[in-house]
Amino acid sequence: MSPSRLALVALLTLWAAAPLSPALASTPRELFQLGNSAYEQGKFEEAAGAYEKILAYGFADPRVLYNLANACFKQGKLGAAILYYERALRLDPSDQDVRDNLELARGLIHDRIPEAEIPYPVKAIREVLDALPVDVLCVVFLCVYYVAAGLVGALPVVSGNVRRRVLGYGAAAAGLCVLLSGGALFYKHQDRTAAHAIVMRDRVDVLSGPSADNTVLFTVHEGARLEVRNRRGGWFQVSLPNAMSGWVPSEAVERV
Amino acid sequence: MLLEARGPADRSMRAAPGGDAGRRPPGSPSRPAAFLLGLLAAWLCGGAPAMAQGVSVRARVDRNSVAEGGQVSLIVEVFGTSLGEIAPPDVSGITDFDIVGGPMSSNRFQWINGRTSVTCSYTYVLRPRRIGSQRIPPLGLLIGGRTYRTEPIDVEVLPGGAGGAPGPGPPSPGGGAGAGPGGAARPGRPQQEPEGAFMVRVIGDVDARTAYVGQQVTLRVLLDTQTEILNLAMKDTPTFPGFWAEEIKVPENLEMRRAQRGAETYSEYTLMKRALFPTGSGTMTVPAMTYQIQVRRRSQDPIESFFFTPTETITRRTEPIAVHVQPLPATSRPDGFAGAVGNFTLAVTADRRESQVNDAIGVKVRVAGEGNLNAVNALPLPDLSDFKQYAPKVASSTSVVGDRLRSEKVWDYVLIPLAPGAQTIPAVRFSFFDPRAGTYRSIASPPIAIQVARGADGTSGPAGVLVSQRDVRQLRRDIHFIKQAPDGLRDRSVPLYRTPWFAALVFLPLATDLGVFVYARTRDSQRANARQRRERRARSLARRRLKEARRRMAPSTARAFYAEVAQALTEYVAAKFDTAAAGLTHDRIEELLISRGASEEDRRTFHRCLEACDYARFAPTSSGPEEMRRTLLAAEDTLVRLERSLGA
Repeated sequence: MSPSRLALVALLTLWAAAPLSPALASTPRELFQLGNSAYEQGKFEEAAGAYEKILAYGFADPRVLYNLANACFKQGKLGAAILYYERALRLDPSDQDVRDNLELARGLIHDRIPEAEIPYPVKAIREVLDALPVDVLCVVFLCVYYVAAGLVGALPVVSGNVRRRVLGYGAAAAGLCVLLSGGALFYKHQDRTAAHAIVMRDRVDVLSGPSADNTVLFTVHEGARLEVRNRRGGWFQVSLPNAMSGWVPSEAVERV
Repeated sequence: MLLEARGPADRSMRAAPGGDAGRRPPGSPSRPAAFLLGLLAAWLCGGAPAMAQGVSVRARVDRNSVAEGGQVSLIVEVFGTSLGEIAPPDVSGITDFDIVGGPMSSNRFQWINGRTSVTCSYTYVLRPRRIGSQRIPPLGLLIGGRTYRTEPIDVEVLPGGAGGAPGPGPPSPGGGAGAGPGGAARPGRPQQEPEGAFMVRVIGDVDARTAYVGQQVTLRVLLDTQTEILNLAMKDTPTFPGFWAEEIKVPENLEMRRAQRGAETYSEYTLMKRALFPTGSGTMTVPAMTYQIQVRRRSQDPIESFFFTPTETITRRTEPIAVHVQPLPATSRPDGFAGAVGNFTLAVTADRRESQVNDAIGVKVRVAGEGNLNAVNALPLPDLSDFKQYAPKVASSTSVVGDRLRSEKVWDYVLIPLAPGAQTIPAVRFSFFDPRAGTYRSIASPPIAIQVARGADGTSGPAGVLVSQRDVRQLRRDIHFIKQAPDGLRDRSVPLYRTPWFAALVFLPLATDLGVFVYARTRDSQRANARQRRERRARSLARRRLKEARRRMAPSTARAFYAEVAQALTEYVAAKFDTAAAGLTHDRIEELLISRGASEEDRRTFHRCLEACDYARFAPTSSGPEEMRRTLLAAEDTLVRLERSLGA
């Protein structure tokens, strides 16, 4: 066999075997399948590597994040698992599996962090909004926005007092709906862009200032969720829901 | 004169609970003489409480030091000129000594120079329990309804052989420790009698000094005597703190046995038996029990011995018995262990092996064996999903075989099959602790197969609601499994509201509404301009009409002349108010003119002119050139007036 034919055969073989190796898999879909196969075989580290490659491609699919979080959880990386569950939940808050796994993972962290008391109506509304995907909310907003705009636009071209009055009331109601859905959309935007961070180390001392020689105020452990309030150099100013706050090194936490 | 009479210390026996009251050993005859003597003593010693005068009491001992194991006599004396009813002294407070004999009572009467005095004495034989300085506490006597107390007495107890001579009385029969019944435990200490008294003792004994919690310890109380026992009773109700006590019946008429204690032969009676089950671990104590025993007294007086039955009531007490109770082993304790200790068997039976849906089946779970099952309350039959299960009827019973308590507990279940087919009553497990082997044991019954046929009405089972349901238990938790992506992956990092499309879609209605608004404004503006134009052209149109009318101002064209003038007036108003001239009536014109503030004079002139034109048009005979000229001038004047007033 001539060298050129040998080279052709080698290339064909490589092309055929490419989907079977994570190193050679090229598309996110192939990587996803490879990661799932590795996970099902108990090769959680290999699965996590495949999922991370998909993310490196810029493919932020919530299912990839969810599977990656599962792989981290199986490896005992509680902080990474919670981080990816949080990210998956941001992309698809309606996914109940993500919520369940996140709750289970949160139950394994050392710190019991009390949640702030929220009145019942607010809590109920927040639960409804948290379960709604942001894109669905966008569509709802656009629908009521178009209805309101249509009614407002019809007002100048319609004659007759009764008709104009009916249109006016309808436009006001639609405007109110636009405000509500817009507020919900704004809440979702705030929620998606809220600065939260997950502790990635076994334990992290929270200091009174952004340097190592400050007083240790309290200690948090892997998986704890902190609210990031400020950043200064390589330090984050973080706080807990119960108003405890301090500074942690940025490499000890990972932004959601 | 000196008269001494010895009589019974107790004139009545206490009634003791537990069936021990007033026991009379077989063969002891009833003596009327004893009753008569009792009456005499009652009259002498306490016939009338009101007679108790000048009473004093005193306690003394025959020696103040005694060797260990020796005896000391305690004499309690009551003096008075006349004594009422006297109760024997309360010796229950004597804790440093064992009462091994007594009381012996005696009465002495003296009559000297016409004055009488009475002395009543009680003698006890005591043996110290330990060496050192021991104290006999004050003893209370109830005399004539009043209580008198003696002074305390200290007795020095010296180590064995170092002190005073042993007390009076025969040597100890039966020897020392280890001579108790059965030999399993140390019996009570030999209780020696004073000289002339009786060898009577009460011995408490258990069959084991070490036991597990819940294991049976059998307590026996024996009476050894060398004299005739007339009656006996327990002084107090026996209580056994720390034990669950079950009575073991003894014959109503006590059975006598011959017992050899060393060189002495005794008549032995079993007074009481109890099956004791320790309820806790540690050192438990079976408390001392006190018996009051009425015995025949030996009398030196042959007349008294011949005609009467001299009796005496003595007090005997058992020793407290310590039992070391071990806890049940915590390790290897099986699931379902409910506290049963002993040796048991388990049997599960069903009253039928074939049944129908909704046809009740009786199932008996029977646990029986040696031991106490009172503490076992757990239901042995587990919940059955294919049967409706009612609360069982529980029956328990106990019996005594060879001094060992045997218990039986039966759970009687009624099960109703809920579904046809081959059903099974699963194995029933029962766990207990075997104290002899020192281990836990679990026994199980074999499963019982029940063939369930359909019901008589052909039903295969009740409609759902009768199925006994159980909560599904979460065994452990784990994360949900990974997800697949059959529809492919999609980057959702950018939400819809941050895409250019969303901004365009939001902007589009704004632009549309703005366009509509501009269009509407423009249209309105244009409409307004057309009206103004017509209004501005109203005067010129009217002049043109009047000019045409002037041209036709001739008798032959009078009708056309007046039509032109009327049209000039009407069209002027129509143009001024941007309305159609065809629909304008006099009333409508009046309304319009009023709405623009035309004066009444102008309106009247306008209407007069218009009416003149209408009149001339429809009655031309009366119209001449002069008339037409005046009409024309009036019309021009009216338009000038209106122009002035409407334009203002």
